[in-house]
Amino acid sequence: MSRLAQLWRTTTVRLTAVFILLFMIFSILLLTFLAYQSSIQIQQQQTRAIDREVETLQGIDRRQGVRGIVFAVARLASVPGPGIYYLGDNSGLQIVGNIQNIPVNVLESEGVFSFNYSSPGIDQEDDTIEGPQGFAVVRSVVLDSGLKLVVGRDVGERRGFTAIVLQGFLYAVAGILVFSLIAGIITARRVLRRIDAINATSAKIMTGNLSERIPVTRANDEFDALATSLNAMLDRIEGLMQGLKEVTDNVAHDLKTPLTRLRTRAEAALRDSGNPTAQREALETTIGESDKLIRTFNALLMIARAEAGAPSGAFADVDVSAVAADVADLYEPVAEEQGLALTTDIAPGVRLRANRELIGQALVNLIENALKYYEPADGKQGRVAIVVRSANGRVLIEVSDNGPGIAPEDRARVIERFVRLEKSRTEPGSGLGLSLVNAVARLHRGELRLEDNAPGVRAVIDLPAT
Amino acid sequence: MKILLIEDDREAATYLIQALDEAGHVTHHASDGETGYAMASSMDYDVLIVDRMLPRRDGLSIIESIRAENNRTPVLILSALGEVDDRVTGLRAGGDDYLVKPYAFTELLARVEVLARRATPGEAATSYEVGDLSLDRLSRKVERSGETILLQPREFRLLEYLMKNAGKVVTRTMLLENVWDYHFDPQTNVIDVHMSRLRGKIDKGHASPLLHTIRGAGYMIRE
Repeated sequence: MSRLAQLWRTTTVRLTAVFILLFMIFSILLLTFLAYQSSIQIQQQQTRAIDREVETLQGIDRRQGVRGIVFAVARLASVPGPGIYYLGDNSGLQIVGNIQNIPVNVLESEGVFSFNYSSPGIDQEDDTIEGPQGFAVVRSVVLDSGLKLVVGRDVGERRGFTAIVLQGFLYAVAGILVFSLIAGIITARRVLRRIDAINATSAKIMTGNLSERIPVTRANDEFDALATSLNAMLDRIEGLMQGLKEVTDNVAHDLKTPLTRLRTRAEAALRDSGNPTAQREALETTIGESDKLIRTFNALLMIARAEAGAPSGAFADVDVSAVAADVADLYEPVAEEQGLALTTDIAPGVRLRANRELIGQALVNLIENALKYYEPADGKQGRVAIVVRSANGRVLIEVSDNGPGIAPEDRARVIERFVRLEKSRTEPGSGLGLSLVNAVARLHRGELRLEDNAPGVRAVIDLPAT
Repeated sequence: MKILLIEDDREAATYLIQALDEAGHVTHHASDGETGYAMASSMDYDVLIVDRMLPRRDGLSIIESIRAENNRTPVLILSALGEVDDRVTGLRAGGDDYLVKPYAFTELLARVEVLARRATPGEAATSYEVGDLSLDRLSRKVERSGETILLQPREFRLLEYLMKNAGKVVTRTMLLENVWDYHFDPQTNVIDVHMSRLRGKIDKGHASPLLHTIRGAGYMIRE
């Protein structure tokens, strides 16, 4: 596509063209009106002037007779200008005047006429040299003395005026055309340049360079606003991609490690074919490992579904108090077996529109974390407390312990997927527990907070009540 | 027991048929929805195992059709879809149990055997007896050798479920689903702890234990 064709396609140039066209149409209408009006005005003035002269000359004729009128007309006719004067005898033959060849019909009757004429040559003696030609508007009267008087004006002047107006108009239109075209093209090029910059950046981004950004000028115009918001979007996408990459890396690591173990064990069992007991054991651990993999996979799917804002089909009116009581009942013996005391402080009848399974799963994950990271210390009774309460339109589900706790700087990080703090790397688990709780909280338009329980951790699922 | 398996994955089907055969069950197989429906509605089976996504006809539509024909054969749905919604729609279509892929064969077998029993009459028994252990569902009384055993409400429901399925393996997931009504997967051995508490109450001091742990599968109550 040529540059010109491209320019023509821009909105600015097209708009400019449309405006020029409209402007021209209106200018023509306006000027036509003006020219028409002024020519009428001039015509009226001339007619009035002619009428006045005719009256004056009629007066002279009446008072001073033939001699007076002949002198008066001769004097007027000798003044250079647009005036046309003719005085003829009763048969119409010229006595004095500055015009020849008056059409016969003008002299035969009274009234207003217009015609082409030629005036006598500059050299009065030589009739063969034609004087200036013109178009005349005249009034013809028969005087009291019987002489025929014709008084008029050359209206070539009027025509010249119209021509000047038309010419001026043409120059103006040409100027406007040129200037607005130039302005349109300049604006279009400016716009095109900005859009080209955006296009170039998108092209670079599409080829994989996500860190490219659209240049923002100091003009602070709508293009800068667009560029800024596109850049903000790109920042977000880049952040998400970064997060996705980290997750993929972590998935790769956390799924590949057990898969490798699985494979090695199967291979070893295959080599060790002479020992059926060992083989059987190897197979059993293999199944155990694959179960763990499935569990990790399920947790990932669950987080993905919860984060995608799974359809709320599974949302129902849930008695959160009952769910918490159930889960506490489920885990109380486990805690006791580990030497921990599990206590509950559950306000009755706290209800919420929620996904019961996910709320239960979140609570289970928090309790399992508390149980898992509890370190028996001498003389200290380990405690896990489950609290459910509602306050100020919020529903709070808390699980607190008096275990080792999480350092403040690590609190945000442990919520991320697959993050396990170094000291807990050896613990079994997928590293997805808290991320799932977080995803569940967010699905219910709430949040997960990790607070200092001094000592220990207080995990709070803070959800809006409605 | 006569089982119909409607499953399009040939390898999985072959393995299942063989394993069910080893467990003493006769299994017929259909590899698409239409054939499966024709077989299910024309022959008598003790249990149907229906994959949810099948060629030619969807698993749920098969179940809806046979239920409309007043066929009460218990149905176990197999599915890769494991969300709560999916489970609910599966059970609403007329399925009796829902198992998410991938599953352990022991889990499938235990569920199939419990399902088959569910269809036999006398389900609404008011009391169960296993050896010298008896449970009265109305008075909520549990006795062993004439001695009353005091159980927590949850322990009672646990024992009730085990005794209802006496002689059959019940898995940990089945217990979690039926006694606690949760479908999630606890990482720790929560069920084992509850079972050992229950065992302490009913078997302690008795020469012959009734509550047995079945390795790699779950639990069973029997004489």
